[in-house]
Amino acid sequence: MIGIIGCLVVLLVLHLITPLWWWVMAVPFLYGLVFGRSAWRSFRTGAFSAGLLWLGAAIYFHVTGSALIARRVAVMMKLGSSWLMVAAAVTIAALAAGVAGLAGYSLRALFQQKRKR
Amino acid sequence: MKILRAVLAITLAVVVFWGLNGRHGLFPPLGKLLNPFAGFWRNGSREAKPPESLTLPGLRDTVDIIWDARHVPHIFARNEHDLYFAQGYVVARDRLWQMEFQALYSAGRLSEFVGPALVQQDRLQRRLGLVWSAEKMARAFQNDPLISEVVGAYRDGVNAYLHSLSPQDYPVEYKILDYAPEPWTELKTALLMKSVAWTLSGRNQDLVMTRTRAILGQEFVDSLFPDLPPFLEPVIPRGTAWDFRPVPLPQPPAAAAASSGQNDAGPGEGPQGLGSNNWAVSGKMTRSGFPILCNDPHLDLTLPSIWYEVQLSAPGLNVYGVTFTGAPGVVIGFNGRAAWGVTAALSDVLDWFEVKFKDKDRREYLYDGKWRPVEVREEKIKVRGVGTSTDRVLYTHHGPVVCFEDEKPLAGWVPRGAALRWGPHDVSNELLSLYRLNRASHYQDFLEAMKSFSFPALNFVYADAQGDIALWHSGRFPLRWKGQGRYILDGSKPADEWQGWVPWEHNPHVKNPERGFVSSANQQPVDETYPYYLGWEYGPFERGRRINESLSAGKDFAPEDMIRMQADNLNLRARLLLPRLLPILRQAGLEAEERACLEALEKWDCQERADSAAPLIFDFLWNALNEKTWNDELKPGMDVLYWPLSNVFLDLALNHPDSPFFDDKKTPAVEAFADIARSAFKTACRRLAEKYGRFGQAWQWGRARGTDIRHLGRLPGFGRERLFTPGDTCTINAIGRTHGPSWRMVVALGPEVKAWGIYPGGESGNPGSRFYDNAVEDWLAGRAYELQFMSSPGQALPGRTSKTELRGEK
Repeated sequence: MIGIIGCLVVLLVLHLITPLWWWVMAVPFLYGLVFGRSAWRSFRTGAFSAGLLWLGAAIYFHVTGSALIARRVAVMMKLGSSWLMVAAAVTIAALAAGVAGLAGYSLRALFQQKRKR
Repeated sequence: MKILRAVLAITLAVVVFWGLNGRHGLFPPLGKLLNPFAGFWRNGSREAKPPESLTLPGLRDTVDIIWDARHVPHIFARNEHDLYFAQGYVVARDRLWQMEFQALYSAGRLSEFVGPALVQQDRLQRRLGLVWSAEKMARAFQNDPLISEVVGAYRDGVNAYLHSLSPQDYPVEYKILDYAPEPWTELKTALLMKSVAWTLSGRNQDLVMTRTRAILGQEFVDSLFPDLPPFLEPVIPRGTAWDFRPVPLPQPPAAAAASSGQNDAGPGEGPQGLGSNNWAVSGKMTRSGFPILCNDPHLDLTLPSIWYEVQLSAPGLNVYGVTFTGAPGVVIGFNGRAAWGVTAALSDVLDWFEVKFKDKDRREYLYDGKWRPVEVREEKIKVRGVGTSTDRVLYTHHGPVVCFEDEKPLAGWVPRGAALRWGPHDVSNELLSLYRLNRASHYQDFLEAMKSFSFPALNFVYADAQGDIALWHSGRFPLRWKGQGRYILDGSKPADEWQGWVPWEHNPHVKNPERGFVSSANQQPVDETYPYYLGWEYGPFERGRRINESLSAGKDFAPEDMIRMQADNLNLRARLLLPRLLPILRQAGLEAEERACLEALEKWDCQERADSAAPLIFDFLWNALNEKTWNDELKPGMDVLYWPLSNVFLDLALNHPDSPFFDDKKTPAVEAFADIARSAFKTACRRLAEKYGRFGQAWQWGRARGTDIRHLGRLPGFGRERLFTPGDTCTINAIGRTHGPSWRMVVALGPEVKAWGIYPGGESGNPGSRFYDNAVEDWLAGRAYELQFMSSPGQALPGRTSKTELRGEK
């Protein structure tokens, strides 16, 4: 839980000061690498922190003036509704972050193994 | 095991990163695009709101911008530099992606950002010499201190906006297509102007006419494609006296072996779909006693719209109208004292010259009995994801060779092995004309503006508060012998070349004519008394004639009458043809469904209404009639027959019903118009049933034809499609499938000018803004907005307005 909140806050700050999307991969990757305790937990921490953050942000923008552009992009992507764009954003963030967290942990596990030997 | 897992997990992460970070084919980069903090979510309406004040390095003084209720900026500057700087800034703010995309299109650079799909398009732009001529124009800006300052200030304004952007602020199209805007340059302004020139004066039928003459004979061409077709009411009214002594005309060279074109010759896009109307009525015909001027240019309709509405005010200048996104000044508009508008003149400024190369290396070509070296221009076309391809374009002194003998042409109308001579390839200074027009208050000022105007040739309508109305068929026209340039010319003969220019004062013009109004609708500019040959292919007669009959029939005109007239849907073609056609069809022995069609036509008042089926039936019938009349004339060696103007068809149908053209060459019997009419009607009914089912709702004109206002980059969901539209290309309200009145303007001159206008879109180029397409419904309904011509920034305006104060850096 603390991991999720921590990642979420770090992601929020980075997103606010840079336009780069791939923080949702970089941050969970580093989290998994440094703090990861299991593959599943690292995946979950990444997926939840990034997914929740993008969910909240997408809803915020959706209700404060971006519904129209979301609808147009939804038509372009052949998704019927602008809310499906929120869902798409969350899915992508969660997937990317989860996979990155997993990758980070897997790398960590490799080093841990070596150290134990 | 753990190593395997690590390898798999990291590979998966890399694949996911790769998949989401970049564009795949035309599929957008999802990670970037969907990121709520920087992706499309940031292109909502919140960000679209203009700031209250802003400091912009480069401004010399304070500039006030009032945004009216339709988001039209009214710019009040304290000097001209700041005015054009601010214009560049606001246009970029609202239309950055569009202005750059148009410039890249013109530059033949789209494949650099979009991908390999557009390489052929880019190559055509380069081969046509658009970039070459734009570079010359951009250099010429520097030779005119005034224009150089105007263009430079505009450029700096655009770039001031550009430099204030972070990637999350980029227009959404950049995010979808995954590229970033470049700084604006004078070259991009020049490119835009060349692109406009090409749109309005690049279409030509030289190849298809050459082929038609070679296969079907001179007589065939002369009878179907006359210089002055029947039903014509020329732009300059018949009987107008020419107030000049013509210069000597060049003589046609002795006949020689003529070019024969090629088998797969295809027609250029005809003028049938392209067009515009403008007219001005004098004070003696209006309720106010002052002139009213109207203009509605018909263009390909897109979102963002081609036009941007703006008011520009600085000491010595206060002008309102529409501008191109990418060039300073107002293109069509009015100031407190005068108004002007344009239609495409369509006079011929494009010819092809067949080139004889010395050998396969194509280093030299024959001219006047000697070999001359070609100039080579290397065109490097960068293609996204592929690399750079280099095209060696050969330039003769005529111009570029667009397609070699042994190549497949980039378009059907491009002849093989010929050099392109196009007027706008020469250096000209249209921005100076616009600069002068923006400031015109007397007829003399208008003339000064016409003097420097070259390309694309336009019919300029003019009216002022002194009561003068005028129309100039303006442009730089080659001095030709009669018919020169109708067919492909011989590039090795000096006598085939253009022999100088028609002096600008001799361009067709009329001022304050007896009939009390001037008008143009892309038809032939002059009657047979005009001494110079300007071209042969112009628009069909219907719109011009309808405008003239409407204006002649009325008096005491008010602006509302003019707004209504711009939305006039009467099909003159149908009104002339149906009385001849219907009696024939009544005798035709029709089936039930056909009788329903006939009945619809019988009841029809020739109004092209969206909810009526008759316009659709007539449209299908018209096409079938033309098909059956013309297409059987084709002979081996020709793939396509270019159809003559409606003027020619109607003349045959009404006045020469036994003309051999009506005889179907494929049958032994000899047919006349009545036979063709019956069989065309049955064909049309059959096709209608096949396409739209049984006679009913689906046959409504607005549904069956409809209109698409597509996104400029053709992004699905970003345009307005299947609009329920009335009108047709031959009605004053000239709406087609994808084009129509791109700006309707009515200006009532007088002590206090009043004006109305509308275009089918909105001021913002941001698809996430309500100002992106807010005017579409009113445009559909034929309404127009009163334009707020402000005299000072403090003036009160109706509706919700806001203000932005731009300050220079101290």
